[in-house]
Amino acid sequence: MSHAPLASDAGRAADRLPAVSARAVGIGLRATLTAVALGGLYAGNWAMIAPNRLVQGDGLAAPSLLGAWAHAAALGLVALTSSGSGRAAELMAPIRFAGLLGLLIGMVVLTGLFGSELLAGRPAPARYMVGSGFWVFVAALLLLLLDDARLLRPARLALILGFGVLAVAIARRTGSFEALSIMVEYRARADVFHTALVRHLSLSCGALGVALVLSVPLGWLAFRGRRARAVIDAGLSGIQVVPAVALFGLLVSLLSLALGAWPRLRELGLAAIGPTPALIAVAAYLALPLTRGLAGGLAAAEPALIETAHAMGMPERRIAWEVRLPLGLPVFVAGLRVATVQAIGLVTLGGLIGAGGLGALVFEGMAQFAPDLIILGSAPVIAFAILSDLGLRAFELRLARPLS
Amino acid sequence: MRTIRPGLASGALALALAVLAEPTVALAVAAALGGAAKAPVPADRLVDLACRHAALAFASVAVATALGVGLGVAVTRSSGTALRPLVDMVAAGLQAVPPVVVVALAFPALGFGAAPTLLALVFYCLMPVLRGTVAAIEAAPADVKEAARAMGFTRLQLVLRIETPLALPLIAEAVRVALVLAVATAAVGAIAGAATLGTPIITGLQNQNELHILQGAAATAALAFLMESAWLIATGLIGRDQSNG
Repeated sequence: MSHAPLASDAGRAADRLPAVSARAVGIGLRATLTAVALGGLYAGNWAMIAPNRLVQGDGLAAPSLLGAWAHAAALGLVALTSSGSGRAAELMAPIRFAGLLGLLIGMVVLTGLFGSELLAGRPAPARYMVGSGFWVFVAALLLLLLDDARLLRPARLALILGFGVLAVAIARRTGSFEALSIMVEYRARADVFHTALVRHLSLSCGALGVALVLSVPLGWLAFRGRRARAVIDAGLSGIQVVPAVALFGLLVSLLSLALGAWPRLRELGLAAIGPTPALIAVAAYLALPLTRGLAGGLAAAEPALIETAHAMGMPERRIAWEVRLPLGLPVFVAGLRVATVQAIGLVTLGGLIGAGGLGALVFEGMAQFAPDLIILGSAPVIAFAILSDLGLRAFELRLARPLS
Repeated sequence: MRTIRPGLASGALALALAVLAEPTVALAVAAALGGAAKAPVPADRLVDLACRHAALAFASVAVATALGVGLGVAVTRSSGTALRPLVDMVAAGLQAVPPVVVVALAFPALGFGAAPTLLALVFYCLMPVLRGTVAAIEAAPADVKEAARAMGFTRLQLVLRIETPLALPLIAEAVRVALVLAVATAAVGAIAGAATLGTPIITGLQNQNELHILQGAAATAALAFLMESAWLIATGLIGRDQSNG
């Protein structure tokens, strides 16, 4: 132990460092993301032009496609991300955020506009698609935006994002994106896409509804008795390890057997293929997070509070409604969030058993090896999943705040 | 005995499900339910697929664990706090994206085979491991760390000799959750050509052979419970040895 004082000195010296080095890490993070974005811009394949939608096209680098605009974007990016540190950087955050968002939207619009120039005079099947460099650039900019978003006040963030949405809407109206292959794919099947979108959302909400109806009694039982909780938890967890694809398929078979045995079920609108099995299967997976959220929420109130309510002579039913429910709401919303995100993902698999939804587009794209169709189907699924995750998480935090 | 009992229960369940996946049993069950007689998946093919399925799940969880523990340790250092919001948001975002969508999007870039599924499973399992690691490190009592620092531990020693042993049980629990998730989810990779227990499920759907679907489903569930059982027994025994020694 003779070296202990030395090590301790080193430790104390290190303790004084962090404030500086945390800032350094923050700057390093931004510098790294900026470098990655520049790599996408200069070293990557920005866009491709192909004779038709199924062939890999010839790659184009950003400078050769966008000319001076590419260098201007690079300069703007470096200027925005190297803007000071510490207090100054925090004050700069709204400007930086708005600038980066503008840069991102601007680059997408420019990519679209230069594409229509390239496509002019080529035969109709020719496709203009964005490449890996473009995606790397977009991903790096999104991460930079995400890192800054937390420094902004919510109202200001909403305002800037609102302007961003407006800018994208105007650009779309004036036809800036029409040349991009994803838009061509969208135009070719706008009706199918919208039907799939509506079907996806209604199936997700329907499955959530069915699962909620199931979970309310189950959650209550699980809350009341330890034995019941063990049985319900084991049963519902057992469902989780069955692959969703298989549960969908097995339900198709079981439903067709049931419909064969009791034809009257058909009159209720049940069918072996299509939305019915998808609705049941998805609801079966959602029951676990919802039941746990309900049971956990009911049990969340502090025992002392419940005892006080008892002492005041409140009946069990009123305690549940007026004490347990309001106090347990954040826990229940957490379960609802998990279930909602799962629902949106699981409904995608319904495309494999003819339930429709965005999954049908994704799987059609895979079968045709058409990346644009896969992206067209996937993008809304990702957007719905992430938005409902963020939205319900914010709601959860808001509900939990007065308690802490 | 008490340390391995939960493991034995999962093991028994795994065995029962494996029996259900066995060709003759599955055939009998399907016949009893009134299904038409069809050709089942042979047992040796099922075992081969189960091995590939397990290997894929293990590989993904290994990558997710390396990333998750590494990032978890990094963001809990005082100098790493700047990374934490972004890391948290990215991990949450990656988990919110459905694995089937990751497989589909990665498919044109990574091609037919196991690679898209590996990526999807790493994305899916990163958050549980990261969350578990951060929670485990933060659960270590501050006065223990303070005492270690006062005794002259360097920062590396603090991580290796104090924080890691204290955090290990909770991290192991997070890895178990990730492993079960990965086994149950890996089947979806079959849509992009990953040879897993999802393969008979997908061919069953295409050829309307529900026997294949039943076998694939039962075998996947059996594998998930087997993994859980092995993990619980192993960690139970290690934990017992340590508390004895």
